[in-house]
Amino acid sequence: MDKAKPNQLVGSATKHGVLLLVTIVLGFPLLWMVLTSLKSNIQALAVPPVWLPHPVLWHNYPNVLAAVTFLRYVLNTLLYAALTIVGVCISSSLVAYGFSRLQWRGRDLLFKVMVSTLLVPFVATLVPLFVMYKRFHMVGWYLPLIVPTFFGSSIFSTFLLRQFFMTIPQSVSDAARVEGANEFTIYARIILPMAKPAMASVILFQFVYCWNDYLGPLVYINNQSSYPLSLGLNQILGTYTTNWPWVMAAATMATLPIIVLFFFTQRTFIGGIAIQGTGSKG
Amino acid sequence: MSTQAFTEASRPAKSAAGSRGRLRGSWRTGLLFISPWLIGFALFFAYPFFATIYYSFTNFNGVGTPQWIGFGNYTALFHDPLFGTSIYNTIFYTAFELPLSTIVALGLALLLNLDVKGRSIYRTIFYIPSIVPIVASCMIFVWMFNPATGIVNDVLTSAHIPGPGWFFSVTWSKPSLILLGLWGVGQPMVIYLAGLQSIPKAMYEVADLEGAGPLQRLRFVTIPMLSPVILFNVILQLVACLSYFTQAQVIENANIGGPGNSTWFYVQYLYEQAFQFLKLGYSSAMAFFLFVASAVLMVLLFRSSSRWVYYASED
Repeated sequence: MDKAKPNQLVGSATKHGVLLLVTIVLGFPLLWMVLTSLKSNIQALAVPPVWLPHPVLWHNYPNVLAAVTFLRYVLNTLLYAALTIVGVCISSSLVAYGFSRLQWRGRDLLFKVMVSTLLVPFVATLVPLFVMYKRFHMVGWYLPLIVPTFFGSSIFSTFLLRQFFMTIPQSVSDAARVEGANEFTIYARIILPMAKPAMASVILFQFVYCWNDYLGPLVYINNQSSYPLSLGLNQILGTYTTNWPWVMAAATMATLPIIVLFFFTQRTFIGGIAIQGTGSKG
Repeated sequence: MSTQAFTEASRPAKSAAGSRGRLRGSWRTGLLFISPWLIGFALFFAYPFFATIYYSFTNFNGVGTPQWIGFGNYTALFHDPLFGTSIYNTIFYTAFELPLSTIVALGLALLLNLDVKGRSIYRTIFYIPSIVPIVASCMIFVWMFNPATGIVNDVLTSAHIPGPGWFFSVTWSKPSLILLGLWGVGQPMVIYLAGLQSIPKAMYEVADLEGAGPLQRLRFVTIPMLSPVILFNVILQLVACLSYFTQAQVIENANIGGPGNSTWFYVQYLYEQAFQFLKLGYSSAMAFFLFVASAVLMVLLFRSSSRWVYYASED
């Protein structure tokens, strides 16, 4: 073992060196975003580059907030996220229950059908959906993006919950059945309370999905006062292309909440992805 | 996808007594529970899917009734140079992004799987880029890679390397988007990491006894054990690459970069035909063509998987 020691030290130093290098490469864009957001435009464009803002221009932030309806975009996004979270939590957990806690003919076939719809490019249904929503006068606000979530449209959530439900021993349900509980009671009173961590993952994923969703709103939201953050940011990028500190301030305000949220919920987050990934072998 | 893993965890078979009636009862209950999805599937998937096929044989602008024109849209497609351009760009992006993102995500996961202090901090930092809002990450990259004032070319210049035009150059605009894509591989990375951590330690011990070096361990233990997870990620990435849209559209909408048609992707063209020109029949033909093309690729991928994907028996 004595012989191995210097080797191990060198090895561990190399490992940390590589990890640090990758950290710098992956982290730099975000650092540069924040640094640029605190500079004057002249400093931002200076050649050779000015690395640290001097003086620190905090007022780029209030200036952006005054120039564009940023908070309005955030509110729209939060409303969009909240309503779809309700839909996903209700429908995905019901469907997941039917696909995991109950044994019935055709279950596995239907489950395969559900999972395989994930492999179909979204544009294969896009145009008729738009025509349909247009006929029902639902285009213009978030309804076309909210309503489907009440009908199990979030297949990843259903999948994740199903994986989790299967880890709960069947004896839990059997004990309740002996006492005469029906399936809905078992679902609502026993299984759901046990599935809180998985539900937390589902809520987080749905929130991040809505916060970042660009395509859905692009198709269905045509009124600027209803824009979500993504479309609002796109407009800021198009309008202020010559004022990079402002653009970066807007990017920072859109990114920071999601990073903070991630910091506090990492375990739930990463755990959820791992369940999806490893549960899907085959 | 086969569902071995899923069915295994299902409950033990019931006792034979009275199974018929109870089975029918449980059938009804099962369908009741999944009914939200069944309704959603019919309304928001099956109907629009078949409607896409129908529209693709018609002339339709969204109001009134579609007019049947047979294969008219398809013949028009194959004479449309922009259709070819958008296919070329999409294939180009997929051909590089798919293998590169797999290698990068796997590489990062292997790094995170090393036995070092502070692993969880590294993991956090490696994952964060993938949750940055897409529009924000586009902003950051277009700014950093700005040919005249961006930090990347500033640094390259100080190293006496002439920096390219990145997003503003016909040759470099697609590679720039590929770089942007590689920055956000956190999702597959975490899935690979979970896969790596589920490989039994004993397998590596056996490999060590056989005198395997690090590369042989990777080649003969890690990759085969991880191959089902690789297949899963590659499939999802493939669907995402073929439907590549958002980043290119953000740049298009903001009128920065993407010169000529160098970043004009398939789904962008489809989107434009449908929602700007209301050529719904034409865009439906594009949509169905993409579906067929991706289905063919999926079948090829699954066929090939029997040769390289290794399923360990679960017990």
